[in-house]
Amino acid sequence: MGDEDQKILVVGGGISGITAAVEAAETGANVVIVERNPYLGGRVAQLNQYFPKLCPPTCGLEINFRRIKNNPKISFFTQTEILSISGKPGDYSVEIRVNPRYVNDNCTACGKCAEVCETTVPNQINYGMDSAKAAYLPHQMAYPFKYVIDSGIIGTDEAVKCAQACPYNAIDLEMKPETLNIQVGAIVWATGWDPYEAEKIDYLGFGRLPNVLTSVMFERLAAINGPTAGKMVRPSDGKEIKSVAFVQCAGSRDENHLAYCSGVCCLASLKQSTYIRERVPDSKAFIYYIDIRAMGKYEDFYTKVKQDENLSLIKSKIARITEDKESGGLLVEGEDVSAGSKVSQVVDLVVLAIGMQPGTSKIKPNLEMNYDDFGFVTGSGTSGIIPTGCVKAPMEVAASLQDATSAALKAIQVAVRR
Amino acid sequence: MDQNIGVYLCSGCGIGEAIDFDALSGVAEESGVAKIYAHACMCGAEGSKVIRDDISSGAVNCVVLGACSGRVKSEIFAFDPMQTIIERVNLREHVAWCQPAGHEDTQAMAEDYVRMGIVRVQKSTLPTPYLEALDKTVLVVGGGSAGMQAALDAAKAGYSVKLVEKEPELGGHMAKWHKCLPLHPPYHEIEDIELSLTIQEIESYPNIEIFKNSTIEKISGAPGMFDVALNNGGATHRVGSIVLAAGWKPYDATKLGNLGFQKIPDVVTNVQIEEMAKAGSLTCPSDGKVPSVVGFIQCAGSRDPDHLPYCSAVCCRVSLKQAMYFKEQNEETKVIVFYKDMRTPEQAEEFYKQVQKAGVIFVKTDTSKISVNEGSELKISVETIDELLGEPIQMEVDMLVLATGMQPTVLDDPILNLEYRQGPALPALKYGFPDSHFVCFPYETRRTGIYTAGCVRQPMTCTRSKNDGTGAALKAIQCVELTSQGKAVHPRAGDLSYPNLFIQRCTQCKRCTEECPFGMYNEDIKGTPLPHPTRCRRCAICMGSCPERIISFNNYSVDMIGSMIKSISVPDEYEEKPRIIGLICENDAFPAVDMVGLNKLQYPPWVRFIPLRCLGSINLVWIADALSKGVDGIVLFGCKFGDDYQCHFIQGSELADTRMSKIKETLDRLVLESDRIRLEQISIDDYYRIPQILEEFTARLEELGPNPYKGF
Amino acid sequence: METRIPFLEVSDAIVMSGAETLYWCMQCGLCTGSCPWRLVPGEASEQFNVRLVQRMGQLGIEGFESENCLFACTTCRTCVDRCPRGVDIIGNIQGMRSMLAEVGTIPGSLKPIVGSLHSQGNPWSGPREKRTEWTEGLSIPTFSEDTEYFLFVCCTSCYDIRSRNIAKSVVKALRTAGISFGIIGAEESCCGESIRKVGDEALFQKLAESNISLYNGKGVKKIIVTSPHCLYTFKNEYPDLGGKWEVYHYTEVLADAIKSGKIKPSGDAAGRVALHDPCYLGRHNDIYDQPRELIESLPGAELCELSRNRKNSLCCGGGGGRVWMETKAGERFAELRISEALDAGANILATACPYCITMLEDSCNVMGKSDQLKVMDLSELLAEKL
Repeated sequence: MGDEDQKILVVGGGISGITAAVEAAETGANVVIVERNPYLGGRVAQLNQYFPKLCPPTCGLEINFRRIKNNPKISFFTQTEILSISGKPGDYSVEIRVNPRYVNDNCTACGKCAEVCETTVPNQINYGMDSAKAAYLPHQMAYPFKYVIDSGIIGTDEAVKCAQACPYNAIDLEMKPETLNIQVGAIVWATGWDPYEAEKIDYLGFGRLPNVLTSVMFERLAAINGPTAGKMVRPSDGKEIKSVAFVQCAGSRDENHLAYCSGVCCLASLKQSTYIRERVPDSKAFIYYIDIRAMGKYEDFYTKVKQDENLSLIKSKIARITEDKESGGLLVEGEDVSAGSKVSQVVDLVVLAIGMQPGTSKIKPNLEMNYDDFGFVTGSGTSGIIPTGCVKAPMEVAASLQDATSAALKAIQVAVRR
Repeated sequence: MDQNIGVYLCSGCGIGEAIDFDALSGVAEESGVAKIYAHACMCGAEGSKVIRDDISSGAVNCVVLGACSGRVKSEIFAFDPMQTIIERVNLREHVAWCQPAGHEDTQAMAEDYVRMGIVRVQKSTLPTPYLEALDKTVLVVGGGSAGMQAALDAAKAGYSVKLVEKEPELGGHMAKWHKCLPLHPPYHEIEDIELSLTIQEIESYPNIEIFKNSTIEKISGAPGMFDVALNNGGATHRVGSIVLAAGWKPYDATKLGNLGFQKIPDVVTNVQIEEMAKAGSLTCPSDGKVPSVVGFIQCAGSRDPDHLPYCSAVCCRVSLKQAMYFKEQNEETKVIVFYKDMRTPEQAEEFYKQVQKAGVIFVKTDTSKISVNEGSELKISVETIDELLGEPIQMEVDMLVLATGMQPTVLDDPILNLEYRQGPALPALKYGFPDSHFVCFPYETRRTGIYTAGCVRQPMTCTRSKNDGTGAALKAIQCVELTSQGKAVHPRAGDLSYPNLFIQRCTQCKRCTEECPFGMYNEDIKGTPLPHPTRCRRCAICMGSCPERIISFNNYSVDMIGSMIKSISVPDEYEEKPRIIGLICENDAFPAVDMVGLNKLQYPPWVRFIPLRCLGSINLVWIADALSKGVDGIVLFGCKFGDDYQCHFIQGSELADTRMSKIKETLDRLVLESDRIRLEQISIDDYYRIPQILEEFTARLEELGPNPYKGF
Repeated sequence: METRIPFLEVSDAIVMSGAETLYWCMQCGLCTGSCPWRLVPGEASEQFNVRLVQRMGQLGIEGFESENCLFACTTCRTCVDRCPRGVDIIGNIQGMRSMLAEVGTIPGSLKPIVGSLHSQGNPWSGPREKRTEWTEGLSIPTFSEDTEYFLFVCCTSCYDIRSRNIAKSVVKALRTAGISFGIIGAEESCCGESIRKVGDEALFQKLAESNISLYNGKGVKKIIVTSPHCLYTFKNEYPDLGGKWEVYHYTEVLADAIKSGKIKPSGDAAGRVALHDPCYLGRHNDIYDQPRELIESLPGAELCELSRNRKNSLCCGGGGGRVWMETKAGERFAELRISEALDAGANILATACPYCITMLEDSCNVMGKSDQLKVMDLSELLAEKL
């Protein structure tokens, strides 16, 4: 593969996009990644651990970032969006807008700007569970390893103060959005997924009851670099969490919400039960489920986790979560189907195992892609646009990687002239 | 190459405040380097230009850069690896950000790191890539869903493909199936299998060569130069890489006598149902009559410690599909599905719903405890506890279908018949599925250049198998492309180094040939290792295993790390400053130590970290060298090992642990306490544990007192 | 435990009786967990598990037939709204009841109701000719071709002394608004909504047929009803049988009249008014705003929402035929509702359904709270201010 080949554009710098990009580039293709966030890694960068190995996602990300750093065939844009795509397979013209980071490549991540910055903003990576300085490194292992100035302070003295604190002229407050045109031969569409809006399931109390969290938020609560530095404490009062109820299918397998199964939530909750069980030795965890879907070899993980005597698995679809005034905790109610009795359990924290919605569920890009009723991309015909990862179906990380690897070959078939 | 070493020291990001640069330059001077240059911002335009100019003028061809971690600013300090050697000395994260500024111990630490950096470069040479493995043909083994797709997609990308199928025709299991799962929205209807078009396309594709009725006698060689002998005799076929898509076989139902198989004639398997449906009618084997009531038993021999402990992922969906076969044959047929958990992930939930709407009845129960007997009214009686009713029920059916699971075909047949020292098959992790890097790198196996696809890799649907074939084809192509350029594949993709053996000194101890996780070495009859460089992943586990120290890389060797250890200053026993060597995995532990600095956590200043390609590359001689030099303790940081290993080279950290247990003999001989060596399993996000581990270790060393070999 | 033997022929029969979505159920139990019976103690709470009842139906296994099991369902629709599979749970319950009704095995307490409906066309054992007794002195016009609306007054408000005030208040408000309406009179029969829910499909058909031919014969085009139950069946069930009219609950018509300025309530401050959303007005007919608009139009009224409101409203306990059955004090949903209203600081608990009024007022009295809380129909509240 040579320089005369067309580039491959990868839209989305999450784990699927990164994988498609590095696999294609290591095969010899030129690749450019476009990512919305100021960092690569997407949703997995917000996870504490992967199932079934209970290993940190940063481990795999680190290797992938190294693959990107070492490979001159990969370039990327962060804080960037696609404005338009025109052309045909082998010859696409893509207009992108690179939004200002207000920090240039001089940044050494020395942190002087953050030292002087006093303004705080909701911390996006922690789903707003805490706040971050308006001059911030998205997270400790962020790539690119550069600070970001929140656009909210641009034009204020605070921004000037940050800029003045930088010893390396790395803060450029005059940066403007930049529109660029790139020519590519194939496009990998890897815009990932969004967590379901849990507040729509009103009987589960999310948004009203501070101790009801979503599964993605619980990942942050457990993370050493999360809002509580990994301490298991109740959001309402900071008390140590002694018991957690995991409510499965929170909005999933449900025609009123997401009719499909997100495939990963059972395993995610099994995994998350180990977070609390390991951190707080005498804690109790309850998983309320319809069916436990631990597919394939993941069954081993299920078998292992359920050995824990302090973990109860109860076949129930939880119908009501209310405040338990006495304990400051939550009362979780429903039917215990196997026992034919009532579930009435007081816990410190409830985690709603919310489903995945494709990034294409709300805004369907005007491209040659077909969608099902849920917004998942079902195909792209003979176009040079190759969907991959959770825009196609809910997938766990390993399946996304597998899918992204196949997307890399399909893109090469379109873009590379042999 | 004559080395002209330039030492470039950056005082930015607080390094200058923490360290005395004159003294640091003095250390470099002692090493007799060609140039020493300091700047307040080496990564800035001005600083980096100095390095580039020195390289282009020829003044410098080896760069020792004392600045930030090699993990950052790599784009600025990237030079042609064929021309320039670069070593990043991490004065920022590993010194200035985790040690008190201006302290003599901080200074000593920085100076040791600069010394080690210079030694590392001095012991490196430019790479001489291995460029002898040039074949780019892809061999695909198995002509089922995954294999056909792999062959087709590799061919469409322009590569020559050889496809080997043991049956007389392509198509695999799918060719024997009646219908497939719903593929299209709204995912309600089972669909016809479109196989003939694919087969036709493959058979007429110009650069695909198909071998039907063929099996593999033997595969010798290595990526880029595999030689494949088929059962039909004839010449061997040279290929560059291999996709193993040999599929699955149904679990042996004869082991399911408890569910009536072979005891009651109308107890059949899901595989038999497909065959019957394909043949046109679903009838009871005993009397040829269309059944009025049909039962399905899910997880027949699956999710069961006495049979297959895992879930075969597709059987729930397959039974739903087969239930619809019966409903399509006769709407009045009653179908009852006995299940543990209904597993219809993703959009398949829609299909489940549709089958419910067709009137199929579902009974949740522990299917391994179902009692199956001759019936009284109908032919078969099924008795079990319905967990939804909370009571035992007894139902009679005319026909009972056992939803049996999948096992990989490689379970009892290596299929590839690899001529490898470590055996003819792909190593399996569990249950016979060849596997290695789950979660993050699912295609990696323990045989470089050989990738698995489809149900031989893990149980999956036909749709996913096809997709998996495409992915494996990409990996196979990637392998031949990198290999032909002399580059390593994952995880050190692009690495141009490879092991050289000073074979005259080999004692045929076979440690290297046994320990390489990737089976790089074959052996001659005497046991002398025969390296196959393109099988190598460059982890250097063999280097660590070799007691004769004869295995080395151009930029990584036993002598190199040994010399780095020797370059460290060891305070004498009266200074009461212990010295600790930290040999750490560069993949996970090294970034974790970076995070310690980033978080401005502090740890004892006595430790000197040396990154290793993998902890498995640790050679015991380093331990002996260090201890005999008077080093008080050695701490090893490797990845987690065991069932859920995190080692990127699968067994590296575990092998290091095994070696460490053996070092006790050496320690005993030296009359040293085994506590002077400590191995910790460190994940990349375990950085917060590191200061504590080092403090505890230091405290233990203080109890033990100084190494008595100090000053020898 | 005794081994049970499923009879799939029985489940087929249940499906044939109207439980068309019986097999759609995946037995997640959300219905049982959401069921108001979980909020109270007692026999029905212990015996009635709507998920399990459907399970028995799926397998054709008996044991669900009692008054406190299958007949406990108030058809409040909370479970139906939440059901992840779109199961028509009320339809399934109705189908199962219907199968029993066909063989005459309905609870004893319902037998006189059935008898009265057959003979008198109302469930309250009132003579047919006394259906219009409540109109005495009101000179209510008889419906004719020139009348815009046919006012159909629920049997309860025709015969029950307390409930008659609802009918009278509705009439007063409609008159104030200048709306053209009339009644037909003693020939009217019960709408049949609740008896259909009880499972007596044949009786419902008889009542519906009688009403449809009567109304069509009189040239009815638009109907105002006083009860959300009548609204439900006229609007959703009668069209299939040939009764196709525009049907409105009185709150809809009166809220319009207020909006257009035809009614202007005045007088003393109404105080803190809590609203109980009737199941059949809210969940079954999606009418939530108009009752609130009525309250907000009253002078000095402060609407205080109950903790369970709108689509999460808690049933009074009177639907699905339960209004004719005895629920012990201490086990009634209405008691929870009274407590909620008191917790909300209300001095009036308003609603817009004769069954709700009956159930709530009874509980308020039994609980001894009638001095603190007055249970009133919205029509009554409005009529006071006209």
